[in-house]
Amino acid sequence: MDTATLHTDFAGRRGPLFGLALRTAVLTILTLGIYRFWMKTRLRRYYWSSIRPGGLPLEYAGMPLEKLLGFLIAVVFLAFYIGIVNLILMFASFAILHGNVTAYALSFVGVIPVIFYARYRARRYVLARTRWRGIRFGVEPGAWGYALRALWHWLLTLLTLGLYWPRKTFWLEKYRTDRTYFGTQPLVQGGRWTMLIRPFLPLVAGVAGTALLGLAAAGGGLPLLLGLFVTVPLTLYGLAHWNVHAFRRLTNAKTGGPVRFEARPRVWRVLRIYAVGWMLIALAYAALLTLFAVVLGALTAASGSFAAMSPNEIIEAIPRWAAVLLGVAAYFSVFLTYGVLAHVFLRLPIWRHYAETLTIHGADAILPIGQRARDEMERAEGLAEALDLGAAI
Amino acid sequence: MTLIHVGTGAQPHDFRAVWLDGHAARAPEIAARIEDGPVPMLRLAVQGAAEKAWPLEEVRRLPDQAGQGQIVLTHPSDPLARVVVSEPEACRLIAARCRNLDRAPPRRGLGRIALWAVGAVASVALIILVLVPQMANQLATYLPPEGEVALGQSTLGQIRDAIGDGSAVGICETPEGRRALDEMTARLIAQTDLPYPVQVDVLDNELVNAFALPGGQIVLFRGLIDAAEHPDEVAAVLAHEIGHVVNRDPTRTALRTAGSLGVLGLLFGDFAGGTVVLFLTERLIQASYSQEAESAADAFAHGTLARAGIPPGALADMFERLRDRSGEEPGVIRHFLAHPGLGDRIAAARAADADRAEVYRPALGEADWQALQRICITPGD
Repeated sequence: MDTATLHTDFAGRRGPLFGLALRTAVLTILTLGIYRFWMKTRLRRYYWSSIRPGGLPLEYAGMPLEKLLGFLIAVVFLAFYIGIVNLILMFASFAILHGNVTAYALSFVGVIPVIFYARYRARRYVLARTRWRGIRFGVEPGAWGYALRALWHWLLTLLTLGLYWPRKTFWLEKYRTDRTYFGTQPLVQGGRWTMLIRPFLPLVAGVAGTALLGLAAAGGGLPLLLGLFVTVPLTLYGLAHWNVHAFRRLTNAKTGGPVRFEARPRVWRVLRIYAVGWMLIALAYAALLTLFAVVLGALTAASGSFAAMSPNEIIEAIPRWAAVLLGVAAYFSVFLTYGVLAHVFLRLPIWRHYAETLTIHGADAILPIGQRARDEMERAEGLAEALDLGAAI
Repeated sequence: MTLIHVGTGAQPHDFRAVWLDGHAARAPEIAARIEDGPVPMLRLAVQGAAEKAWPLEEVRRLPDQAGQGQIVLTHPSDPLARVVVSEPEACRLIAARCRNLDRAPPRRGLGRIALWAVGAVASVALIILVLVPQMANQLATYLPPEGEVALGQSTLGQIRDAIGDGSAVGICETPEGRRALDEMTARLIAQTDLPYPVQVDVLDNELVNAFALPGGQIVLFRGLIDAAEHPDEVAAVLAHEIGHVVNRDPTRTALRTAGSLGVLGLLFGDFAGGTVVLFLTERLIQASYSQEAESAADAFAHGTLARAGIPPGALADMFERLRDRSGEEPGVIRHFLAHPGLGDRIAAARAADADRAEVYRPALGEADWQALQRICITPGD
């Protein structure tokens, strides 16, 4: 066997993940959200252990309590920031500009650098708690530097109506990667930003086509709107194309000493996963709706003669407590269903595809890599959690 | 104590496993053995080091792992080391023999977490319940009147849009009705020191309600005028709303909401259904703000009405009418409504009736009262 090339297996399965996601989501709702730190930890353990480059699984070693602690610290900081700063901004905005739009805008702008800062720290925390072959990943501190660069690149992106996007993506990725380690081995993002131009073109074509058609239609050429049947799917395709191919080119240009990576995810496969996933989620919602209708019918039947009642009478016939209970259950099951099904039908298949198409070359050089010191990260990813940037996992 | 073993009993089981020492990325395959004895052990023939012997009772596995047919073992004596076991018989034996396989390792730092939790809750409570309201109260008095007026006007626009079906609710202003309303307002504010002129408008809607906005904007709904049986009752409600204006309650509330709502959103952020909790909590806070403010506005109305020669008891009449229409909401629900118990307020208004002026003059003459009642009916309708 060629020991220098490692292929990646993916061991995650929908059934066990469904059980885990459902149980932890229910507990999160029952504990008014406190359990979400445990939920995140447990789901990450599952996803991480699913990915097995060369047959050995990744390990997620983060703890729920450190996340809770980090969140609490962040809440104290942010409560001051949001409570006091918002109040003062609102006051200044009323007093000087006689309106509150400015206050909302300013208060949002004030949070933006904190968002980038929090993102970098969240990534640093997650990688510091990720191990493979017993060795920790790690990220050097540098969150404020990242926030400054991100602000600058985003400004340029806005000013160029998005055309700057590939350059922004490359340089921010380079900033993050060049500060990332596997044990003692630093990683380097090679390549140039111009390599991301080609993957960006279909998306540009789709967006520009849609915009031009819209302008032309507004100018009187209404039949031109039929062209949207081409440009809107092109935009969706372009989005997937950009995500997949930018990831491929960036990953293939990363190195860790003599170790190289080869990522081969496919656009059509990703599109198919999303199409099938959304369809299955829609079906699940339809099934849930039917179930509620049946329960509603049963309750009505149980509370009296239901034949020949008008809809209003039926609604009145449902016991009040049952209606409240049903309403609450319906409300939460909408969130819960989406959260759980998105794991099972979207996230797991996408992760599987990206994992199974990842190969590591020059893996002999991995063997002598040594351990790195533990990055305590006492505040964990609390700020990102409090700002609700944690995404799903 | 007698140990009863399942399966192979005294037969040792030899197998191969991957050893991760937690110091380097080498992942050598090593010889491993599960064996009985006084203390059943997992023995690991680690190369270049002494043999590791982990008592089976102390062996734990990583939780929530994906994939059947592979377990990753740890031992407290060597927190970074891992043994990856894939051999089916070994997996079966370990699952059967390691009694504490899934017991959580001891947690450290619980005390500090508890301390931070208490600190976080306390400081958030302090910010929402003390700091933000205090600052809002202070800042409201420093806000230039023009700022408040502009804010009130934009808010009125939003409210008219929100109530109307598709289009903004109309403002009623027949000339006669307008004149009657202005006369009533002028009489009430004659002896009051106001930060800015009061602007009273009637909205063409059947709600039995009235409210004040920042900057002296007061809104009466047509439904309230329809419900009143005497002009004194409308004057009493108007006096109450002028009380809110004098105390700058709407401005305080606007500032307070800007501060506290953001903090609450932060706490309940990404928990499903957070918005409902958020809304209820905010309602609770608003209600407790308003109970004080409402009582103060009532007291102001009593004084103003008495000075203007209108019996403060008219406010009680209006409240009684409101109560008859809707029935007082009991218990918990009442807490979510912005008004303190109507019964208490009716009693207070009746008590204030004793202070009224000697000379009684109705709030409006008969002709003017009719004009006000018809303020929304433009001639030709």
